[in-house]
Amino acid sequence: MIGLVLCSTLGLGLLVFMWALGRRKGAPVEGCGRQFVEARQALRTLQFGLLPENLIERIFDPEDFRYVTAASSREIGELFLQERTRISLMWVRRVRSEIRNLMHFHLAYSRLHAKLSLVTEIRLALDFALLLLACRALRILLYLRGPYGARAVVGLLRAAARRVCAASEKSLAFLNPPGLESFRRDSAGRGAAI
Amino acid sequence: MRGPAKNMDVLAAADDLRRRTLVDMTQPLERLIYLASTRDYNTGLYYHQGLALRFSDETACEALADCHREAFDELVAASLEELVHELEAYLKSTRVAAGDFIVAWKGLEPYRVAVPVGIDSLSSELVFSNLKVGLAILEERLTARPKPGASLRPLPVQ
Repeated sequence: MIGLVLCSTLGLGLLVFMWALGRRKGAPVEGCGRQFVEARQALRTLQFGLLPENLIERIFDPEDFRYVTAASSREIGELFLQERTRISLMWVRRVRSEIRNLMHFHLAYSRLHAKLSLVTEIRLALDFALLLLACRALRILLYLRGPYGARAVVGLLRAAARRVCAASEKSLAFLNPPGLESFRRDSAGRGAAI
Repeated sequence: MRGPAKNMDVLAAADDLRRRTLVDMTQPLERLIYLASTRDYNTGLYYHQGLALRFSDETACEALADCHREAFDELVAASLEELVHELEAYLKSTRVAAGDFIVAWKGLEPYRVAVPVGIDSLSSELVFSNLKVGLAILEERLTARPKPGASLRPLPVQ
């Protein structure tokens, strides 16, 4: 009797497991193109819009604050700090949003097209986790200490984001055949309204 | 082969533009405002009659867009101190009363429509923010005695 109950429970458990597996949302192959293009866009935004060294230097460089405090009143100093905190928070928010886009892409689609080794996948997962954690920590630090109180975290975040970008670049490399790249250079980069 | 030839034309046109029209505009802010004014609000296309005659409408448009983007990139890279100097130099070049200029720029924020197409919103927000603070610094210099040791240049107050 006990054996029958055990077997029935085991069978039922297996059925539930198979049902759950069947219900799990897989990455739909149809309509993948849009996700690839969005991931590519997120990658480009990170590489060219949010992570360039000169832009990060400009946002978090304390030289501007030194200038404001030396050349103007306390009110303007406060206005400057408010503005720079707003910009730095905007930077963190944008980086986090694009990183999440890339993470969703990796979770759902990259396995279909790019063979990543187990070590690379683990490293990538750790980088994504580190990035999201660093973004949260940076936001709190920016609120508490202003734009110049978290330069080390900014550096850490940037380095991890660049590693993720490099891995994503490999996954999306097939979207950049040489012919397409030269076409892009000839048109979109220069055109006024393209 | 059409692509590279077209690029060479655009480079030549941009070079021509820098040597003839932009040569006297030493400050990126001045160039930015001027180049934005050559862009049609309705189409987003740039037009410069002299350049279009020498090259073609399309080539002139792309050359103007390139120079516009270049001027904007210089503004993004500028420190706040450099930006304040640029504002002062631009103010001098306009020959408008400093008070009127500051009121107009603070109220209308004309620089917001001077951003080239395709620029990331974070870069443009950084420039807008720096210009806002820069204008506040200029205004303060006009209305109050400056602190000793501050970097100052005379303003054309009328």
